[in-house]
Amino acid sequence: MMPQSLTVRATRPNGRPIRIWIPVLPVLLVLSPLLILAAGIAAVACVVYRVSLLRAFGTGWRIMSALPGTRVDVEHGRTAVLVVVT
Amino acid sequence: MNEQRRDILQMLAEGKLTAEEADQLLAALDRDEPAAAAPSSDGRPKAKPKYLRVVVDGTDDGTPSRVNIRVPLQLLRAGVRLAALIPPQALGEANRELSKSGVPFDLTQLKPDQLETLIEHLDELTVDVDQPDAKVRIFCE
Repeated sequence: MMPQSLTVRATRPNGRPIRIWIPVLPVLLVLSPLLILAAGIAAVACVVYRVSLLRAFGTGWRIMSALPGTRVDVEHGRTAVLVVVT
Repeated sequence: MNEQRRDILQMLAEGKLTAEEADQLLAALDRDEPAAAAPSSDGRPKAKPKYLRVVVDGTDDGTPSRVNIRVPLQLLRAGVRLAALIPPQALGEANRELSKSGVPFDLTQLKPDQLETLIEHLDELTVDVDQPDAKVRIFCE
């Protein structure tokens, strides 16, 4: 399943937290022109390096689908950053 | 005989699999079945781990720091497939750089199915590093 949201929570040294919730699908829709361009460039690169286009895009999709559940939590003193993909 | 075994033998009979492929699949089933059937201490079957966790506790210039990373094992599997797409020229270049750095490792000998097996057995892995100023734990959950 594709990631649905990305939550970023950061705590600054003064203790004030910032919480950002990013819905993935709307962001992808907004960025779709850039994504199409990137997909085109990737396709050209695949042809140049003789990599199967289907396998490459299939693997890319697998990676995207495997992202939910990823969590990165870094704390250093009073500063902290938490990134959660759901 | 369970469903998966029957399917493999059916495909062998229909000629969709060679005898060698069928043998490999049956062997893989044999490997998986005891692990899936092994009950935990409370009598329930042991759940398969889904995540790789890396926890680092330490101090940096006297400031306590903690890194806690949880990566789905599925993501590692997908990454392994991505590694299989690396063009041979790039692998050759990486081999040269590794040799220059004193690591004579041939990446072209690394096959995707070997990496797949490695990921499969990661659930039995636990790494504990204890140092006076840092503690690292890598395990699956």
